[in-house]
Amino acid sequence: MGKQETIARIWGIPLLWLSCLIIATFSFPYFEEIFRQIEPNQRQVIYSRDSFFTLLLNHLSLVGIAATISILLGVSSAIFVTRPFGKDFLPLVSQIASMGQTFPPIAVLALSVPLLGFGALPTILALSLYGLLPIVRNTLAGIQGVDAAVIESARGMGMSSFQVLRQVELPLASTVILSGIRTSVTINIATAAIGSTIGASTLGDPVISGLVNGNTAYVIQGAILIGLLALSTDSLLDRLQLRLSARR
Amino acid sequence: MLGIRFDKVMPVLTGASLLSIWTLDFVNLQPNRILPGVGYSLQDAVGWWSMIIVTTLLISAFLLSFSRLSLRRWLQLFIVTLLLVLMPISLSSFAQNHIPETLTHARTGLGSAFWLVFFLLVLMLIELQQKLELSRSIYCFIFSFPLISTVFIYLMGGLDTLAILREYGARSDQFHQAVHIHIALVGGAVITSILLAACLVAMMRKSTTAQKIIFPLLNFIQTIPSLALFGLLIAPLGYIASKSEWLQAMNVSGIGWAPAMIALIAYSLLPMVRNTFVALEEVSESVIEAAKGMGMSPAQVFIQVRLPLAMPVILEGIRITTIQAIGLTAVAALIGAGGLGNFIFQGLGQAAMDMVLLGALPILLLAIIADLFFSSVMTFFNQHTKQSGATKS
Repeated sequence: MGKQETIARIWGIPLLWLSCLIIATFSFPYFEEIFRQIEPNQRQVIYSRDSFFTLLLNHLSLVGIAATISILLGVSSAIFVTRPFGKDFLPLVSQIASMGQTFPPIAVLALSVPLLGFGALPTILALSLYGLLPIVRNTLAGIQGVDAAVIESARGMGMSSFQVLRQVELPLASTVILSGIRTSVTINIATAAIGSTIGASTLGDPVISGLVNGNTAYVIQGAILIGLLALSTDSLLDRLQLRLSARR
Repeated sequence: MLGIRFDKVMPVLTGASLLSIWTLDFVNLQPNRILPGVGYSLQDAVGWWSMIIVTTLLISAFLLSFSRLSLRRWLQLFIVTLLLVLMPISLSSFAQNHIPETLTHARTGLGSAFWLVFFLLVLMLIELQQKLELSRSIYCFIFSFPLISTVFIYLMGGLDTLAILREYGARSDQFHQAVHIHIALVGGAVITSILLAACLVAMMRKSTTAQKIIFPLLNFIQTIPSLALFGLLIAPLGYIASKSEWLQAMNVSGIGWAPAMIALIAYSLLPMVRNTFVALEEVSESVIEAAKGMGMSPAQVFIQVRLPLAMPVILEGIRITTIQAIGLTAVAALIGAGGLGNFIFQGLGQAAMDMVLLGALPILLLAIIADLFFSSVMTFFNQHTKQSGATKS
């Protein structure tokens, strides 16, 4: 009983948003009457070119692939520049990671089209490039924030440098790294939605199509789903972060 | 090994530059806006001699990394600046040699080698600046050389065939208007959110209940993606506007500047409120006590002590807000707010990449300028408070 209560307390909010998202994804067609009130003059008031579930899956897989690339590349490059053989690159990489955040994600997205053309691929590239920056910055901050005395004593215990990294530096930096991942994913969910203007199929499709054709009902359907997706993901990562910092 | 180790960064960056100019297209030439372009490598574009000069310069920068000259980084800095100065000149010489006067619609597009080398050269500048610990003013001085050369070549007409300038020439009025709208939206949102944030922070400093409501609310708004927030504002705003003649007279409707402005302000509030609140709270109590002890009134303590000490962090909040608003305004073009985002989305719709660039590059530039402006104001402020603090103590 007590255990169930804590589960509800910890995962309650993310579960609430997640269930709203799932219900909304499948139930929009049943609310046709309400949407007709908003757009009485349109023949069709429920977006139907793709099912909302397909769009949600596409959106999630775009963000998922991009996040995987950014996490792998971001964490490993931050590790690389904090090791002795890569430390020449540390000033440059940390400077890029902080300067790159000045670039608006929409500009990065737009600039990837001349390079790669339209479709899902340039969206993934733009998302993973842009998502890299907060992860690199936070991983660097996390690793550099580890007390040098702790590392010394780990070495003194006879740990190899790989063991120090695996068992001391990364675990101690994990909360900061996770908060970088959270920032990166939040930005990417928003940017992926705009990705439908460059031909990636995402939850942005109903919004864009509604804006182009003057159908507010489509816009609302897309916007609600995008909002719920962002809220579910963000609260989920927020809870993960709390759990991780509580464990230490 | 003798224990001498060489810095690996410059060799990697110069090596990558060499590789890209020898393998990728430097520019491409379109007979007009519609026809596909033909790629030219650097040696085709500006001839063998220039290719040899550029290669030699890059190889010398590469080799200098392994020398023990104390001046090696300064020499590398000189080479990098020289290469940056040469870039616009190379474009002008390409146009002279390859575009006959008869082709009035011909466009020079920048190829992947051009962008890559430019990017790598900027990285080299950043790297050298860090390793040489150059001050901001020297850095700006160095950057002025490529800038002057670009402006000079532009005024000479050497860049006229550049695709983005052709595009600009075709719609310069629209462009100026878009820049004005963009800046007006960003400025309006930032200034309004500064005022609103001041009120909210005042409330939050009075009551902890206000803190408990305002922070989660602003966090919630910030989490909602821009496209969704813009979209969700259309229906309610359109409904309200349809009921009120006064709002209609102000041109408020579900699409256009009004929803854009509301969303921009809503997004701007979080960084502004957070930074202002934290900055004011974190001024150390002992300083405040000391000021009170000197007989200052509460108002004086706030204006003369707390606010100036909090200023750098507040300015950082304004910086973040402005840069964020510049990007979000671009998205607002989708709901008819105008601004530079229009070129991006229209260009994407027509598959006209030069038009996309005409929107995206100025947005990037605006963000960089805003960043530079606020960070110099912050540097100035930091020095100022330090100096006045030093003279007073």
